[in-house]
Amino acid sequence: MVLALDQVGVAFGGFRALSEVTLAVAPGQIVGLIGPNGAGKTTCVNVLTGFQRPTSGRVLLAGRAVSGLAAHRIRRAGVARTFQAGRLFTGLDVLDNLACTGVGLGLRRREAEHQASALLAWLGIATLESRPAAGLPYTDERRVAIARALMGGPRFLLLDEPAAGMSETEAADLAAVIRRIALERGIGCLLIEHNVGLVLSLASDVVVLDGGRVIERGDRAVILGSQAVREAYLGANLPEAA
Amino acid sequence: MLRQHGIRRRMAATTPLILAVLLLAFVIAVSLTHDRALARMAAETLIRVTLVVGFWIFVGNSGVVSFGHAAFACLGAYVSAWTTLKPAMKATLLPGLPDWLAAAEWPVAAAAVAGGGVAALVALATGAAILRLSGIAASIATFAFLAMVNTIWSNWTPMTGGTSSVVGLERYVTPWAALAWAVVALAVAAAYGASASGLALRATREDEVAAAASGIDRYRHRLLAYTLSAFFCGVGGALTGHFIGVINPDSFYLSLTFLMLAMLVVGGIGSLSGAVAGVMALSLAVELLVRMEKGVTLGVTTFALPPGSQEIIIAVAMILVLIFRPAGLLAGREIMLPARWVGGRADRTTDPTS
Ligand SMILES: Nc1ncnc2c1ncn2[C@@H]1O[C@H](COP(=O)(O)OP(=O)(O)OP(=O)(O)O)[C@@H](O)[C@H]1O
Ligand SMILES: [Mg+2]
Repeated sequence: MVLALDQVGVAFGGFRALSEVTLAVAPGQIVGLIGPNGAGKTTCVNVLTGFQRPTSGRVLLAGRAVSGLAAHRIRRAGVARTFQAGRLFTGLDVLDNLACTGVGLGLRRREAEHQASALLAWLGIATLESRPAAGLPYTDERRVAIARALMGGPRFLLLDEPAAGMSETEAADLAAVIRRIALERGIGCLLIEHNVGLVLSLASDVVVLDGGRVIERGDRAVILGSQAVREAYLGANLPEAA
Repeated sequence: MLRQHGIRRRMAATTPLILAVLLLAFVIAVSLTHDRALARMAAETLIRVTLVVGFWIFVGNSGVVSFGHAAFACLGAYVSAWTTLKPAMKATLLPGLPDWLAAAEWPVAAAAVAGGGVAALVALATGAAILRLSGIAASIATFAFLAMVNTIWSNWTPMTGGTSSVVGLERYVTPWAALAWAVVALAVAAAYGASASGLALRATREDEVAAAASGIDRYRHRLLAYTLSAFFCGVGGALTGHFIGVINPDSFYLSLTFLMLAMLVVGGIGSLSGAVAGVMALSLAVELLVRMEKGVTLGVTTFALPPGSQEIIIAVAMILVLIFRPAGLLAGREIMLPARWVGGRADRTTDPTS
């Protein structure tokens, strides 16, 4: 029961955004995906969730190739994601934003609303329930986007820069939420973040992309000790090795 | 914590009720005047409510502009003519009808339902091809569908009489008959809007990508709304035929398409109340203009607008609304009873009973 990219390549015209990328996420595991701007992180998520067809290689869900499936089918198969840019339904209130996923997964509207309400309470944001999604503060918007992705109990959750723009304390709160998602719900998480410290503190396994290629993979010690990673980041926001 | 939503739901449920009561008041007011011309205007307006509310079910929820819905009205009108005209009349006007249709003399209500049903079936079949396309491509395809239906209807002479008119439809559509269908359309439109499918479709309108990531199959919900929507446009077409008594393919072509779009845009595409408001506003305006085209006598001089200026003025009204109130007169809001009338305060943040 693993979600994986197997030797995936993606080309946009003549430009190779990904080359032979292999990575895997198991249930309950948090895998980090880091790399400089334009490294291909979001493209990986798009491939995993059916928004981008790989030019070569396969996407595997529990051993089955799902590369050609439409995005909504992959979501129904249990692979959920958030977006770098929130993408809430701004014309709807928070509860209905979650309910949309519920009905998308085949629930009746009332059932979807009950599940949405319970989920917001679990994340400690029940008070947002009837607020319009437009104009939510940034951190609340991020939490609602995560709540929406958790509807229906996905098996995997792909988070695209969930902490972008957050303060240290807000990011720490978010880290606690992600840990609970993996531990209490057994959901396999792929965490993309520019906050490398956050990723290293959460992930048991980290994949580093640069120029569409995997340049390093391993645990915290391996990543911090890697010369290739240091060069890719040119020293930027990489914590010192302990 | 779901209490607030319960209140909101009850408030939303009052929208079709209020709209129905307003339309009822309109019909009562008109019938009190005993003015024949006004009664005709009221009937015509209420037929347009059925047409435009039907149109809104698809366009309002999906955000995809359709240019093809006048074709569904065309289908509805002809199906009703085929099933209700006197057999002797059909033998001369429509010699190509199969025997069972040539002999059919259905009750008018059954014929209206059949008209809507055939329109819905055609929508289901054509929508299966058209609605997989993305927004603008889908809109253009609906326009091609409209042109196709018009061409077929203008040339399929044994069945449709071609471009010559089919006459002799029983003129049963009073303001009350039109009101009955308008209320049914309102109830179904509101129920669809409140349904799981309605919510899913509005999500695709807001953000296609996020909707797909929510597991929503855009195509399926679009197809359902399109089919429902076509049903009421088909019924509206049948009513139009039995209101005027005469139909031909061109009475369900570009000018009807334009009128339906203008009404939706003027009232506001974002709400059911907007659809009704647009019909009322433009119908009243058109009525005024028609009277002016006939000439208004002020003292010794008579002012008369040149014929055809009606469409130009509707176009100008639509453009003005687009410029100054782009979301339409109601700007996407629904008319509904306030929270305290349905047993709650919508702004309550803490609930002592839970
Ligand atoms: N649809 C597309 N068409 C063409 N090029 C694309 C497309 N999507 C992404 N790219 C390019 O592919 C490369 C990888 O993009 P991607 O969004 O995956 O990077 P990223 O690692 O998520 O970057 P960031 O940290 O800035 O979000 C970039 O150079 C980008 O310009
Ligand atoms: Mg990115």
